[in-house]
Amino acid sequence: MGEVARLLAEYGPAFGQALFLTWKLTLVSFVPGFLLGMVVTVLRLMPLPPLRFVLTLYVEIFRNIPSVALLIFIVFALPDLNVLIDYEPAVVLTLTLVCSAFTADYLRTGINTVPGGQVEAALSLGMRPMRIVSAVVLPQALRAVVQPMTSLLIALMLSTSLASQVPFPGRELTTLVSKIATDSAAGMAAFAVAAAMYVATGLLIAWAGAALEKKMRILR
Amino acid sequence: MSRPLEDILFGAPSAQARTLTRVVSAVAAALLLLLAAGIVYRFHSAGQLEARFWNFFAWPTTWAFLAKGLLGTLASAAMAAAIALALGLVLLLGRLARPRLVRWPSIAAIEFLRGTPTLLLIYVCFLVLPSVGVKLSTYWMLTLPVGLSTAAVVAEVYRAGVLAVPRGQTDAARSLGLTETQVFFSVVFPQALRYIVPALVAQLVIVVKDTTFGYVVTYGELMQNAKVLIANYHSLVPVYLVVAALYCLVNYGISRASKRLGRPMH
Repeated sequence: MGEVARLLAEYGPAFGQALFLTWKLTLVSFVPGFLLGMVVTVLRLMPLPPLRFVLTLYVEIFRNIPSVALLIFIVFALPDLNVLIDYEPAVVLTLTLVCSAFTADYLRTGINTVPGGQVEAALSLGMRPMRIVSAVVLPQALRAVVQPMTSLLIALMLSTSLASQVPFPGRELTTLVSKIATDSAAGMAAFAVAAAMYVATGLLIAWAGAALEKKMRILR
Repeated sequence: MSRPLEDILFGAPSAQARTLTRVVSAVAAALLLLLAAGIVYRFHSAGQLEARFWNFFAWPTTWAFLAKGLLGTLASAAMAAAIALALGLVLLLGRLARPRLVRWPSIAAIEFLRGTPTLLLIYVCFLVLPSVGVKLSTYWMLTLPVGLSTAAVVAEVYRAGVLAVPRGQTDAARSLGLTETQVFFSVVFPQALRYIVPALVAQLVIVVKDTTFGYVVTYGELMQNAKVLIANYHSLVPVYLVVAALYCLVNYGISRASKRLGRPMH
């Protein structure tokens, strides 16, 4: 315990900043990732075979590629193709792509929970297909995926640790721990503090997700 | 399952709508082909299509080296999965135990291992443990953290399965005079396993993905071997592309297997 107190006296503000950066990275990749995933889901409903094929390929690639492999490709291989992306945007892009693929997958499952009879009813009322998607199908699908999306958000938050794999000017939690562990003997205490911060953030997200799920759930 | 939703949505198009769909499809195909051509052109103009970046893929030694890397990945993933399945069961039993002295530490261990990034655990094994005198081989520096964090997730998956087994099964087994151990291991757990096999197999994808961090501890898995190849042939883009494709194929295969296993249960 004394070790933790000494560590916090020396690195307290650094831990605060690192936690904040972890939150920031999570948020700025989750929001666009979620929106992109929603666009992909809707486009995949279109009766356009070439588009469906390419988007299915997109989802399967980014769902199955390890995030680190993707990050390393973006950071180290793309410059050889004359595409230069800075380190922080590269991390955000990696997480966004992965998040969008999983969102598309979960939303598709959510859409499958909407009974077909509702679509038939909407069609017989004379609604256009796109209007049905936006007014009937998507709202219910979104309400059905609160729980998997919560798990995805937690997984994404933990994945921000891969920012430690690129020379980042700011330090998120994992980078900070590896730095403290290399510089001093306080590695164990630093690890304990960072782990507590990750676990607390995860529990917070899980709690918020459960509360939202309770409000949104559709009983069928 | 009945008809997919999109088939109902666009099921009976008018002649006009059909023409429109065909035209838009053709335009979309053209645009996507244009995009693909643009990517190929970018490879060409950056000089990445030159033979010297690709010709070593014709040598069997290259593939043997990549296969060795893949084998390293699978060896680590398999051991991590074995650790996760066994330790997950221990954590589950602790989580379900009645005495608080057993239950609370188990819950704490599950939440801790589940809520901490695997990469952070790897750094602990790699940077912190040696400084307190614990020396692990690179294989264990990778496999142990991956196995530990997966164990916590597996424990929760097990629990979901156990809770899904109807209560009547437990009651019936007890009324037959089975002991608590027999009730769990002969009646509840085997049935729980059948519910959760797809979820467990899906978890294997995450294990394979996590072993990618092997290059952090320089364990010879696929990503690490890719880095060695790149250092030898100065060919970044092709090697990373091939390796990414290999990972995708392995994981896609596992995902498909998991979906197939999930089907007959419904």
